[in-house]
Amino acid sequence: MSSIQKKIWVLAVVVLLIMATIWISLIYYNQKMQDQYNEILERYLVMNEVTSTSQQMVTALNNYLIDPTSDNYGVIDSNREQIQQMKADVIDLKHAENEFALTNYVNLMDSLIEAADRSLLSHPEGETENARNALTEATHISNYISEMTLTLIDTELKTYDRFYRGIIDQSEEIKQLGIWLLLLITFLLLLFTYWFSLRITQPVEKLTEAAGEISKGRFDLKVEVDSKDEIAFLAKTFDHMRININNLITEIQQKAQLEKELQQSKLLLRESQLRSLQSQINPHFLFNTLNTLSKKAYMEGSEETSDLLVSVAGLLRYNLKHLDKLMTLNDEMKVLHQYMDIQKARYTDRLTFHTSVDESCLDIQIPGLTLQPIVENAVIHAVEPNEDGGVIWFRIIDGEDRVIVEVEDDGPGMPEEKIKQIMAEQLDTTKGHATGIGLSNVVKRLRLFNGFDDVIQIESCFGRGTKVIIHILKERGVVQLDETTNRR
Amino acid sequence: MRKIVIIVTAITSVVLFYFTIDAAVGVFRPDWQLPEESDKEPLSNRIVLITQELDTPFWDKVSSGAREQAEKGGANLEIWGSYGNNQKDFLKQIEIAIYSKVDGIIVQGLDTEEFTELTKVKASSYGIPIITVANDVPMDESLRRTYVGSNQYLAGKLIARQLIVDMGTSGEVVLLLDRRKEYYQEQRLAGIQDFVEGFPNVQIIEAEAGNSREEVMAKTKDLLNKYPNADAFIAVNANFAGDMIEEIERRSKVEPYYIYSFDDDSRSLTLLEQGKLDGIIEQSPKKMGEQSVELMMEWLTNETVPLNLEGYLTDIQMIKAMDVQ
Repeated sequence: MSSIQKKIWVLAVVVLLIMATIWISLIYYNQKMQDQYNEILERYLVMNEVTSTSQQMVTALNNYLIDPTSDNYGVIDSNREQIQQMKADVIDLKHAENEFALTNYVNLMDSLIEAADRSLLSHPEGETENARNALTEATHISNYISEMTLTLIDTELKTYDRFYRGIIDQSEEIKQLGIWLLLLITFLLLLFTYWFSLRITQPVEKLTEAAGEISKGRFDLKVEVDSKDEIAFLAKTFDHMRININNLITEIQQKAQLEKELQQSKLLLRESQLRSLQSQINPHFLFNTLNTLSKKAYMEGSEETSDLLVSVAGLLRYNLKHLDKLMTLNDEMKVLHQYMDIQKARYTDRLTFHTSVDESCLDIQIPGLTLQPIVENAVIHAVEPNEDGGVIWFRIIDGEDRVIVEVEDDGPGMPEEKIKQIMAEQLDTTKGHATGIGLSNVVKRLRLFNGFDDVIQIESCFGRGTKVIIHILKERGVVQLDETTNRR
Repeated sequence: MRKIVIIVTAITSVVLFYFTIDAAVGVFRPDWQLPEESDKEPLSNRIVLITQELDTPFWDKVSSGAREQAEKGGANLEIWGSYGNNQKDFLKQIEIAIYSKVDGIIVQGLDTEEFTELTKVKASSYGIPIITVANDVPMDESLRRTYVGSNQYLAGKLIARQLIVDMGTSGEVVLLLDRRKEYYQEQRLAGIQDFVEGFPNVQIIEAEAGNSREEVMAKTKDLLNKYPNADAFIAVNANFAGDMIEEIERRSKVEPYYIYSFDDDSRSLTLLEQGKLDGIIEQSPKKMGEQSVELMMEWLTNETVPLNLEGYLTDIQMIKAMDVQ
């Protein structure tokens, strides 16, 4: 039997038991009362019967004396018999208060029979006078019996007066008991029902609450129900479901993360493919041509042009060779200088380039072609549009656990929005760059390389210039790098 | 809040439980007062004391004496009787007692034929002993076992002597008697007559009256008219004293008359205290009750057989108005 059903059964049985008890006790009480009433009534009836029978006897005797047939004699006989029987009944009615009167009563009945007998005896012997006298006597006695019956009944009423009053009091008490019982049962049932319903509804409420929490998306709250019925089972199953859903969601989140990363790497791949397509001109041909051009220029006495061409060739080679490799800061610096030489040739006086390099940091490793795009960016935005040219400061500072590289210009500054886009790696900044590598690309590669996001800072003030700061860890975060690799 | 609710609930349930159980105990443990069961043994020594004058001080004393003695002697006594000298009812009571086959009847004597018939024929045919109390009947007419009470003859003599003492040796004395001429009154009369015989100057006038108030008053009026010189009145039937004095009072003052009576009427003592009666004979009703029951028990247990037929006399004494006042 299931447990809630059991509880309901218990409630019903308890109510039933209470009602049955009350019913039985009332029936018992009623029966007792009725018995008492009957007993008392019986007494009156017996006494009354004595009166009527004795009167019948006298009448019968009278009839017999007038008309002495055996029929009439039979009537007398049966009456006598009855009176004898009633004597025994009457003696049973004896109690302490009517003892005397009752003895008299019984003796009166005896006397009546004796008188009747005397009359019957005298009659056949012709002593009519005696028979008549005896009849008169019997009549008197019968009258006395009637009177005494009344007296006895009167006494009975007096004797049982207290008893009747007791009964009346009792019925009053029963009424009171009824009221108290009603109050008590109502109260107890209310209590019991409250407790009982609580035991059913409380778990349901808890379950509802838990369901609400889950529907709101909180899968980490445990569903707890401490009853022992079906609701508890339901709650347990519900909890299982919650745990399962929770696991599934985590799984889905992980998958989504993976997907996202996969997408990104795909994009990167496409970018590099594009780039490789763009640079389909045979680089060796280009190098050789550039070298030839350089020698030619040298031989014609244009040393400056020759150097410029060497720089271009170097930049080009570096670009092709070392894009995906780790280079030292020193290498980067060389490329940067070659690039700056080329740009100086282009902008002559308009471009002023200041460097301040902490030589001790030059051995540190860094992704290839990191610095050049940043400086190039400065040149593009700070020097190129400005008629009077611009100044670019380049600093390498030793900052304890990291090396800080700062590129500062005095250009018109960078809008806030653009900075955000760069930081989010969203902006395509390849446009106008010699190497085809934009600022966003640098940020991305530096982040991957360092293993944390906070690698670049762009400080810009409208009309006064822009300062790009990058951080390179001296000890490369091996762990972070590992993690990053794993995530992929 | 929760605590308060719990406490209130607990108190309520305790109170309800208490009252319910209280009421239930009241209902299911009834204190119905049923009369005591009697042992089924038939009653023995059932004695009935029958008088014509229930609820008079005199007979109340007799009854109480009898009751006390019955209690002491283990007899079952009942007091029956009629009120106000109702003879018919009185005789019926005797008859019922006889037919009820009681073990003994103690009865106030009544000097009538019916009474004699009942006591002599009926009672003896049923074998029931009869003792007369307070008032006697002639011994040979009724088959009474004995008499318990005052010596009425002596009472008459006592009252006559007091009269002579108070009045002197000459004068007219009116004696008011019952028309029924009951035996005890006759004895009183005899006592008075015998005593007065010695004083020739004292003239006795006997008068008879009926039992009703009107008859007594009429008779008194008549007597006062006939004998304006009467000096003294004696109510031989004590019941007459009150009505007689009332009638005398209508006419003149009571004080000049010497009026005497007996104590077996309820008004006697009051009249004596008021000084309207000059003296009464006081009997010993309580003693009568006690002794009659005692003798009856002795008879029933065969301790004293036969009883003294002459009777057992109880004390009498004269009380004068001066003693009371």
